[in-house]
Amino acid sequence: MTKVLVIDDEAQIRRFLRAGFELHGFSVIEAENAAAGLKAATMGAVDLIILDLNLPDLEGSEVLERIRSWSNIPVIVLSIHTDEHEKVRLLRLGADDYVVKPFGISELLARSDAALRRHLRSTNRDPVVRAGPLSIDLVSRVVTLDGKRVQLTRKEYALLHGLATHVGLVVTHQQLIREIWGGHAGNIQYLRILVRKLRQKIETDATQPRLIVSESGVGYRLEQGEPGIAPGRRGASSDTFCA
Amino acid sequence: MSSLLERRGLRDLAVVQVTSGDEIKRGGHQTRWLNVVAANAMPTGATFALVWLATVSLVVINYFVPFNLVSLIYMLPVVVAATQWGVGPGILAAFAGAAAADFFFYPPLYSFWIRDPQNVVDLVLFLLIAVVTSNLAARLKNEAVALRRREKEIGELHAFSQGLATCLTGRDLIFAVQDYLSNTLRYRAVLIATEQDDHAVGDAAAVPPEIRQEAVKLIAAGASAASTLRDPRSGRAWLVRLIAPEILGYGAIAVELGDGAGEPAEVMARRVESLLDEATLTLKHLKTKEAIEQATINYQTEILRDALVGGISHELRTPLASILGSCSVLNRIPAVRDDRQSRELVEAINEQAGSLDNEIRNLLNATRISAKGVRPQLLWTDPTDIVGAAVKQKERKLAAHRITLEIAREVPLVHVDTVLVEQALGQLLENAAKYSPPGSEIKINSRCEDGCVILSVQDQGVGLTADEKGQLGRRSFRGRGRAVGASGSGLGLWIASTFIAANGGSLHAESRGLDLGTTMSLRLPTVSADTPALVGALDD
Repeated sequence: MTKVLVIDDEAQIRRFLRAGFELHGFSVIEAENAAAGLKAATMGAVDLIILDLNLPDLEGSEVLERIRSWSNIPVIVLSIHTDEHEKVRLLRLGADDYVVKPFGISELLARSDAALRRHLRSTNRDPVVRAGPLSIDLVSRVVTLDGKRVQLTRKEYALLHGLATHVGLVVTHQQLIREIWGGHAGNIQYLRILVRKLRQKIETDATQPRLIVSESGVGYRLEQGEPGIAPGRRGASSDTFCA
Repeated sequence: MSSLLERRGLRDLAVVQVTSGDEIKRGGHQTRWLNVVAANAMPTGATFALVWLATVSLVVINYFVPFNLVSLIYMLPVVVAATQWGVGPGILAAFAGAAAADFFFYPPLYSFWIRDPQNVVDLVLFLLIAVVTSNLAARLKNEAVALRRREKEIGELHAFSQGLATCLTGRDLIFAVQDYLSNTLRYRAVLIATEQDDHAVGDAAAVPPEIRQEAVKLIAAGASAASTLRDPRSGRAWLVRLIAPEILGYGAIAVELGDGAGEPAEVMARRVESLLDEATLTLKHLKTKEAIEQATINYQTEILRDALVGGISHELRTPLASILGSCSVLNRIPAVRDDRQSRELVEAINEQAGSLDNEIRNLLNATRISAKGVRPQLLWTDPTDIVGAAVKQKERKLAAHRITLEIAREVPLVHVDTVLVEQALGQLLENAAKYSPPGSEIKINSRCEDGCVILSVQDQGVGLTADEKGQLGRRSFRGRGRAVGASGSGLGLWIASTFIAANGGSLHAESRGLDLGTTMSLRLPTVSADTPALVGALDD
């Protein structure tokens, strides 16, 4: 059973997170402050950490740094603030993704799922990433859309590769620019145009992208689509009710 | 008044005042003459020395030169004494000079008799001129001193007014006034306000508790007279007086007069009081009180606003996050999901909590805009992504409508704050959904026109009258949507137009008339539209 550690000082938030995660087959450990959270993270074998940034005893980013100093357990950050610079900073510090409060449980489950899968893939060495109708073989560099091979330029592939290794998770603009252009010569204008070109090749309708979605002011995310890693635990794409 | 005094404990203060005043006075009687003599000994001695010097010089001059320079030479000590030490020493020099001339130079020598009547006339004339001259010289000196003092005061006032300009808080201002008074009075002055909170007190720690206590009593009683107190611990005298309400609203000033070694405390107190009156007048002219009040209000408003923004963010939005999150979990529990009634209830809670959160966010945005203005963080963005994000943001609110997208393929990139433009477009979408019937079409269009990128939202709703079109974008404008039961504070559109304006764009409304729908457009400037060149640069 996948173990998730929830570090949040708000009891009500912890309660609904517990309910939501347990409903989807996770087991939940709760921590109401940074000290308890860090202790639980080191003591118990935890698969995923949900970390609220606003903790009474320690800055959330500090907790994140401490966790990252000894472990690469997937961490998803919760925050009530929506400052883009802060999001980028947290991602740089090693957060796998962030979710801004208020959020629906399915959004968090989708992020958790993606983070867990990425972690699993790094141990499994499974070379194929799937995102909806798209499949990317990271070893043979073959990209197929609904089974048909898609021809990409070197930079388009580099972009898709950067997104595919983090499928379902946000990748910052800077990270993508570095991966594609090697830290120099690239800029956000190039990236935007490159994304537009890639979308024209892989999206059904490039003007209404479904696969490569933009995270305002932060980066891009390759949506992983429907399949999950375990039955009964899958990330839905939205919180729309009465589906 | 007396009952007030009793109630406020002024009687105690009066007792303290009398005893300490007496003590000071008794000490004063013994030292007064000594003080006067001590203060005058130097000028007197110096005057005699000058006259002696003149006499010696005359003896020497007479030995070499046979001219009669007696009255001329004796005029010099008079002028010097009068300019240096005032009228008294001047006149003293005149008489001493006259006596010396008579004794040493007018025959018969070495006696105060004068043989020649001409010499008597000379001497009387000398005395007359010397007295007049010493008066004139002394006055000249006083004016020079006054001028110097005035110059210094103006310099201090200038420094003070510059200090005022840089004061951010009422507390800073109180300190500035205190410094100014200390400089002007040449004694350390401390302002004591009635309020006990630290913000209103100048420098409470500098005043001994006893003095402070008396000052507070004085304020409470509203006594107008000043009182001189002696701090029992250090033995230093303090002058405590109410300060003019034009300066500190309602407070007192305590001036530390020292240990009474020099001048008697009473004399100092009198001088300090007259200086204080003068300084008060100056401060009145500078409208210090208004400045302090305004600064205090501004400071408190700022604190309050920050507290409000921070408090709302956390204290209101966190519970809402719990409610919305719990709803999303409830909706996934089979027992709820499969029961129509429960599902509808959960959906109602979800919807209402969502609107509440939205309103709070609007309020926060409006507060931030009012307080600090909008500071956009510009980033090159694809307008397609802006549309996508805005639609996703309002997904639930648009669920009942048919959304059509008409997006031109090669729209240039825009250099904007993505988040702000998305919120603005989201607001237009929300309004379109709110003011048009469910099931109707909402058309989103993105195109490039006259060097601008235009994002427009067209609905089939109630439309706008010419009057409403004019009012659009005011802070709390609401369309007739209110009549059809749509809710909202009306802040949304104002925020949207502010956000767009901050990005160098503009918001436009078009309506062919009532019930013919509305088209709202965002017009964003494109800085450079050389997309093809960029594409070229990207080719492998």
